[in-house]
Amino acid sequence: MEKSCSLLVYFDKGTPAIANEIKEALEGNDVPAKVDAMKKAISLLLNGETLPQLFITIVRYVLPSEDHTVQKLLLLYLEIIEKTDAKGRVLPEMILICQNLRNNLQHPNEYIRGVTLRFLCRLNETEIIEPLIPSVLQNLEHRHPFIRRNAILAVMSIYKLPQGEQLLVDAPEMIEKVLSTEQDPSAKRNAFLMLFTCAQDRAVNYLLTNVDRVPEWGELLQMVVLELIRKVCRTNREEKGKYIKIIISLLNAPSTAVIYECASTLVSLSSAPTAIRAAANTYCQLLLSQSDNNVKLIVLDRLNELKASHRDIMVDMIMDVLRALSSPNLDIRRKTLDIVLELITPRNINEVVLMLKKEVVKTQSGELEKNGEYRQMLIQAIHSCAIKFPEVASTVVHLLMDFLGDANVASAIDVVVFVREIIETNPKLRVSIITRLLDTFYQIRAARVCSCALWIIGEYCLSLSEVESGIATIKQCLGELPFYSVSEEGEATDASKKPPQANSITVSSRRPAILADGTYATQSAASETAFSPPTIVQGTLASGNLRSLLLTGDFFLGAVVACTLTKLILRLEEVQPSKVEVNKATSQALLFMVSMLQLGQSSVLPHPIDNDSYDRIVLCIRLLCNTGDEIRKIWLQSCRQSFVKMLSEKQLRETEELKAKAQVSHAQPDDLIDFYHLKSRKGMSQLELEDEVQDDLKRATGEFVKDADDANKLNRILQLTGFSDPVYAEAYVTVHHYDIVLDVTVINRTKETLQNLCLELATMGDLKLVERPQNYTLAPESSKQIKANIKVSSTETGVIFGNIVYETSNVLERTVVVLNDIHIDIMDYISPAVCTDAAFRTMWAEFEWENKVAVNTVIQDEKEFLDHIIKSTNMKCLTAPSALDGECGFLAANLYAKSVFGEDALVNVSIEKQADGKLSGYIRIRSKTQGIALSLGDKITLKQKGGS
Amino acid sequence: MVVLAASVVSKSGKVILSRQFVDMNRIRIEGLLAAFPKLVGTGKQHTYVETENVRYVYQPIEALYLLLVTTKQSNILEDLETLRLLSKLVPEYAYSLDEDGLAKTAFELLFAFDEVICLGHKENVTVAQVKQYCEMESHEEKLHKLVLQSKINETKDVMKRKASEIEKSKIDKGRGGDKGGFMSMGSGRIESSFSDMSISSSGSGFGSGSGFGITTDVDSFSTKPKGRQPSSATAPPKGLGMQLGKSQKTNQFLASLQAEGELIVEDVQPKAGQSRVAAAAPTDPITLTAEEKLNVTLKRDGGISNFDVQGTLSLQILNQEDGLIQVQIETGGNPGILFKTHPNMNKELFSNENILGLKDPNRPFPTGAGDAAGVGLLKWRMQSADESLVPLSINCWPSVSGNETYVSIEYEASSMFDLRNVVISVPLPALREAPSVRQIDGEWRYDSRNSILEWSILLIDNSNRSGSMEFVVPPADSSVFFPISVRFSATNTYSDLKSGVELSIFLISAIFLTFSTFNFNCKDVVLINARDSLRGEMLLQVVNVIPLRGGAPPKFAQKTSLITENYQVV
Repeated sequence: MEKSCSLLVYFDKGTPAIANEIKEALEGNDVPAKVDAMKKAISLLLNGETLPQLFITIVRYVLPSEDHTVQKLLLLYLEIIEKTDAKGRVLPEMILICQNLRNNLQHPNEYIRGVTLRFLCRLNETEIIEPLIPSVLQNLEHRHPFIRRNAILAVMSIYKLPQGEQLLVDAPEMIEKVLSTEQDPSAKRNAFLMLFTCAQDRAVNYLLTNVDRVPEWGELLQMVVLELIRKVCRTNREEKGKYIKIIISLLNAPSTAVIYECASTLVSLSSAPTAIRAAANTYCQLLLSQSDNNVKLIVLDRLNELKASHRDIMVDMIMDVLRALSSPNLDIRRKTLDIVLELITPRNINEVVLMLKKEVVKTQSGELEKNGEYRQMLIQAIHSCAIKFPEVASTVVHLLMDFLGDANVASAIDVVVFVREIIETNPKLRVSIITRLLDTFYQIRAARVCSCALWIIGEYCLSLSEVESGIATIKQCLGELPFYSVSEEGEATDASKKPPQANSITVSSRRPAILADGTYATQSAASETAFSPPTIVQGTLASGNLRSLLLTGDFFLGAVVACTLTKLILRLEEVQPSKVEVNKATSQALLFMVSMLQLGQSSVLPHPIDNDSYDRIVLCIRLLCNTGDEIRKIWLQSCRQSFVKMLSEKQLRETEELKAKAQVSHAQPDDLIDFYHLKSRKGMSQLELEDEVQDDLKRATGEFVKDADDANKLNRILQLTGFSDPVYAEAYVTVHHYDIVLDVTVINRTKETLQNLCLELATMGDLKLVERPQNYTLAPESSKQIKANIKVSSTETGVIFGNIVYETSNVLERTVVVLNDIHIDIMDYISPAVCTDAAFRTMWAEFEWENKVAVNTVIQDEKEFLDHIIKSTNMKCLTAPSALDGECGFLAANLYAKSVFGEDALVNVSIEKQADGKLSGYIRIRSKTQGIALSLGDKITLKQKGGS
Repeated sequence: MVVLAASVVSKSGKVILSRQFVDMNRIRIEGLLAAFPKLVGTGKQHTYVETENVRYVYQPIEALYLLLVTTKQSNILEDLETLRLLSKLVPEYAYSLDEDGLAKTAFELLFAFDEVICLGHKENVTVAQVKQYCEMESHEEKLHKLVLQSKINETKDVMKRKASEIEKSKIDKGRGGDKGGFMSMGSGRIESSFSDMSISSSGSGFGSGSGFGITTDVDSFSTKPKGRQPSSATAPPKGLGMQLGKSQKTNQFLASLQAEGELIVEDVQPKAGQSRVAAAAPTDPITLTAEEKLNVTLKRDGGISNFDVQGTLSLQILNQEDGLIQVQIETGGNPGILFKTHPNMNKELFSNENILGLKDPNRPFPTGAGDAAGVGLLKWRMQSADESLVPLSINCWPSVSGNETYVSIEYEASSMFDLRNVVISVPLPALREAPSVRQIDGEWRYDSRNSILEWSILLIDNSNRSGSMEFVVPPADSSVFFPISVRFSATNTYSDLKSGVELSIFLISAIFLTFSTFNFNCKDVVLINARDSLRGEMLLQVVNVIPLRGGAPPKFAQKTSLITENYQVV
């Protein structure tokens, strides 16, 4: 175990403190100067200086000081200095401080005594502690509670030392006596804690004899009681019954912290429904009563855990959980909805949906800033409810359709996507939805919502009346033709003087957008400037949403309109017996399309129609002029089929994910099964008995390091010098979370003794050496293991350089052997991660650093290349595999990974197969920090060649 | 339930401070803290982040995060409570809520954090309590200090009492032996020398030395009559005590002086001589004593403000039959000296012939006067403004430099005298401890009670006509060091007289004339002294002691002394 570090203080390297100055100040009589010097000395020590010469000065001049601050600083100093030599023996000079400590323990000032006792808690050297024990014990009976409190803790820590039981044989009895008479709540807690950790039986005994008074005890003590119960019950399950009563009585305690602790204790103790229910109830109460967001979130986490293990019980609590939606915090609401959505059953679905609907309605009335987002969340929730239980769809879909015209585009899109899915999966609702959609279509403001709604109209208007009203609706929304008049054109030319500057701005600021499927699309600038429409549109805004959108230059929407019209006309042909009507409608539709083309080519708009939209509209025109069965089939059926396929794909993916999740929790077929009751308690080590709380602590303090398999370790051996060098060195590089450990083996290959051999390391990048190198003496042909810790603080390719410097006995000058560079691989710090599409996009837009790597590879297949990149960068492909299927000659995918330091790494791969069979394109890396973008880029450049 | 660490980090991930409550190595905690800012999302309305292993519960403080690192199983409610408490504490202790401000008070914050979280467990405390704990104002400590202080004071009192008791008992002892004997000369001085002995033994050698020096003088006045009149009924009993004291003290004194060289030994010789004289008492029936008292006030920047010498010549006659004598003296021509004779003296005889005789030549001088001084025959007084007459001039230079005052003093003695037992007393400002003496010719002693530094020189003769001393005291006004008073004495012996090293005033010689030469036959005058060195300052010279009835001139002894009565530099 490495030396523990009990305090850190920021040390400003700009103002170096000279040891001599410190010494002088310490020797002086000026108390403030002394305090300052002590502080400086401690800072220096923390910063890695050893300052051995200071110790005697401090013993001589600081120890006798009467000043309290000086004494406290002295204790800090003693806390951090090295008290043992290399072999773990206590340094002889440490005996010098004993007398001072003893005086402090008998100091008339109770606070000095207290802090000294507290210092003893951090002391591990029995040799120093031993002479102090009588004084510590005296303090147990001091009348000041501050001293007793700390004295008890000191006794506890002494007793816990390796030889503590011999030092303080009767400590438990003593503390038990103290406990029985103690009045101070804090001291009582400490005493109980001492018994709990050192003599559990006594603690249990005390608890059981005072069962009735537990509810009256102080909050602090109650907490320890709960901790004790948890621990005892883990070892002796059969005694559980005795304690449950205590817990139940504590559930009514005034302190919320105790209540919370009770609930978690209950959960860990028992899986009986009543207990779980009580715990869940308690959590729900806390959820409602506590106003602090942190508490709510963490309680929700606990509920989430409960949900995983005791779903049946949690199902009953669903409405209580849902009440947490009253909090204005989005995170809380999201978490609540997540929990609730997984708890819905046919029995409670109606209630839940009703509640959600109420919440949705509420968002309409109140004008809170986050309402839009919240509404979107609710809509998504309802959406997933409706998918699980299609019967509820009918009750919500109409309500939701009110939000098609929502100013919040995201929630409107969610609604329209929801409608689209429902109309397919719920054929019964088709008619009513279509009617409703046609009624509300004019309210839709956003182009993307419009195009989706148009698609629904085109797809699901089946009956004659529906088709006709569909055409009528579109017509109405497009308004009177033509889209612009000559006179308007004249005006427009005047007016168009203005737009250019605005336009030039938008054009310059426009950047390629990444589509959901990962393809790059050049968003037309017009859609970005949609809300700063040119002058000509303003007059026509009221006439129809489609028209105004078209006049802002959204020709993609124009193409969608054209397609929809085409579809409707084609369907009309099927359902309308009257040819005349059909022709009339056809010609009208053609007129619209032509007008759109005209508009697109006119100079009214700042920029002309894009080729893609133009092509599609022209295609529609051609189609209407010249229909055929083949084409009709494609237009009227294949679209629907692919949509259905997409839906089923989505469902399939979800179920697969669920399955995958479920799979994780299952045991392997050949796993050992532990029968708790069959297990012999005697043979069990303490470690096995220790519970998750202990594990938790150990994990947190980093003690819990899994042993990497040795084979793996051998792979990481780096040779640092040549075989013919006088000193041979090789290193294992072990990469931990926040640090790199170099285990360097140094072998003296000469016949001489090497003196002052020193491994000097220097780093580049975000690496920092933790310790200063030490000097060693190496006998002929012997070897030495040197450990070096290097701190890593961000994900970045780092390089460690080094020298081995030594002297031989006959030559005075130092010889230097330069070591191989050690490159720290960024891949050690990156792990695949998942994030939502939206999050990916916002990050992509936000991040400042982009590294663009041109594809240059021998791999011929797009998919293979992507897999190669994924493998070599250790990232996760966010793009669904289905979207990557097929041979279309190009591929776009998003990759995502997170570093252990919480940094995000985004990669987009866009490749196209050239005519000559080679792949070309770019890999873009974006990240918040330069380091990742650069190192990942280097990595990709290095690896992308492939072929091996 | 377990808080792993409480920290403050900046938004960029710099760790301002962090206190760990469980064992954790440095890399781990630094890694956890460095990862944190990257994990904090923006626009979130909650303030915790969970990772695979730990949970961070945080609170932004301007550009920083206050942060608790906990296990994932930790009780969030409790942790939030803790965090709230910490966040209240941070502004209490930080100068400003930015990196610098917090970095400056990092240690204070660490102490406060320690009070809130104990081994990872939350303590039930309030902000006020934490502040109280950190201030560490302890009533008990104050009490303890008070008790300690009072004990010290008590002990000091006891010490003082003991000291004064010892002193008293010593004085009593001294008084028991020779009450009042010294007192006539000024008991204060002697007392102080006693107290010296009881307080500091190191200073006593000299301090007592000075005291003894004076007592020797006194002794020499007083032992005489005693020696001459051992059987006298009127002789006070104290004389005996004095004798004891004297011999004892003298021995001590001698012992201490022996090392100082022969000059001091010379000082002993006359006494030996005297004692011889005293032993041969019948051969030395007449004693003439001339004593001068010096009253000098010198200005601190040089010059004399007062110079005044008062002298007396007294005569002691042991035997009645020796009483019929006349004393012939010789005076110098110094007009500044005014002589006054005793009213019973024949003025005419004195003014014409410089012979001191009673008005009624048939009456003898009174004999056996119990009074140590004998019968006063003549008084004289001299005043002068002539600096060259000053036997010892003192130059004192206080100079303030920085936090200290350096005082340099030097003396310069005129070559006319060998001064003995010179003590220069410099008043000092009230000091806690003795001044530090940098350099000194001679010895020094600090009388803390009167706040006086005494610089003592046993003997000033040709080898050390000038000397200096320097000492350092805390800053003080220069006027504090004045008036400097000086004591010394000068004795003259026969040998002195003969060698001609003689000060201004007396040269006494006694000439015995036979009764037949009673009629002022100057030829028969035995000039004992053939001095020439006294120039104009020669004031008085006892030339003859003339027995009026003829016969062998009686043997006589002569004692001269010069003492300072009031010698100051103001």
